[in-house]
Amino acid sequence: MSDDDSKRIQSIHHDLHSDLPAEPALRVKALESLLIEKGMLNPKTVDAWIEVYTEEIGPKRGAAVVAKAWLDPEFRRRLLADGTAAITELGFEGWATAHFKVVENTSMIHNLIVCTLCSCYPHSVLGIPPNWYKTAAYRSRAVRDPRGVLAEFGETLPDDVEVRVWDSTAELRYMVLPERPAGTEAWNEGRLAALVTRNAMIGTQRALGTDSTRHR
Amino acid sequence: MDGVHDLGGREGYGPIDVDESEEPFHADWEARLFGIVRAMTRTASWSIDWFRQCRELIDPVDYLTRPYYDQWLQTYAAMMVDSGVATVAELASGRSSDSIQGLAPPKTPESVEAAKRATARFDRDTSDAPRFIFGQSVVTRRNGWSGHTRLPQYARGRRGRIESLNGAHVFPDSNSAGKGHAEALYTVSFASAELWPEASGRPDRVFLDLWESYFERE
Repeated sequence: MSDDDSKRIQSIHHDLHSDLPAEPALRVKALESLLIEKGMLNPKTVDAWIEVYTEEIGPKRGAAVVAKAWLDPEFRRRLLADGTAAITELGFEGWATAHFKVVENTSMIHNLIVCTLCSCYPHSVLGIPPNWYKTAAYRSRAVRDPRGVLAEFGETLPDDVEVRVWDSTAELRYMVLPERPAGTEAWNEGRLAALVTRNAMIGTQRALGTDSTRHR
Repeated sequence: MDGVHDLGGREGYGPIDVDESEEPFHADWEARLFGIVRAMTRTASWSIDWFRQCRELIDPVDYLTRPYYDQWLQTYAAMMVDSGVATVAELASGRSSDSIQGLAPPKTPESVEAAKRATARFDRDTSDAPRFIFGQSVVTRRNGWSGHTRLPQYARGRRGRIESLNGAHVFPDSNSAGKGHAEALYTVSFASAELWPEASGRPDRVFLDLWESYFERE
């Protein structure tokens, strides 16, 4: 990208800032009307995408992957070796997961996922990222102060546990495989999956509760 | 580009909203914009890196203060204006003043079923052998450049270790300008103590996915 490109785009942003309504909802309404009028958009297709990413594609997919990995050592091996192939077995491939990598927590390693440069996320497995994942607060601190970030989420890590922070700077997308809680040996896949939280798969939660007191 | 988007390690952004509610969208307009972006006809081939570059060029105050999906909107709006699909006046009013010839009909709701499973790969075949091997020590380039790049400031001029080779992936610094070539992509880890003075004595590491051009030739 040349300096000319940068100047041109900056100038367009300046005009958009000045001329578009300030209120996001009004901006979106104008964009939708315009695209429909230009023949570039069917509003029912918009509804369909919202429904898919509200009802079908979300953290429960990731939780199903985790529970299966806990129960099936062969699946776990395939998941860690080639995440994309393993989620494709479950029909979970899609947006942003062509190069999907799963990193495993152990008693001595804790993994944390971030994208400091934008907000990269494994959408087809975890759905829409939480807003905090996209904020300057999380993006700035996750790489520099991961223990402080974890403390805000209520996790205190022992000094000798190694924190591995994964900054998604390319098209590889990461998910954490949390540790299976003790006392769940007899549990089936559905019951195990219900334990797995979105935050645990991002890495901002470490201990999964086997009682119903943990809400995240 | 050494822009405001390059947030890793910056200080002063405050605590994280750990009590945010779990639903995917927090306002109707957020869901709407998300759906529009998935469903709209693309009249130009906008690469992921061009999208990122255009978002990085949002005014720094807007970048830090306007909501995330509002930034998506402004980025798509900028790309539409730049490629001649719409004018700023049309985007402001929501009324079209010029029709586009030869457009295919918009995507149907039925198209979502297949599209939700569509994946875009970024690795490419190459005959170039990677220059670095697993376990090798590397030093990242000290300087960035004014164009799009995925080497964050906090990891420049630092010594890391090659953790894995991921084949050749499309190189963002050239892909943004539409001249994408592929080159070796490595996962590299840095001791946190190499990056941050206060991490001294901790066992922690930070992993980044970095292209071969991001390393100094020692």
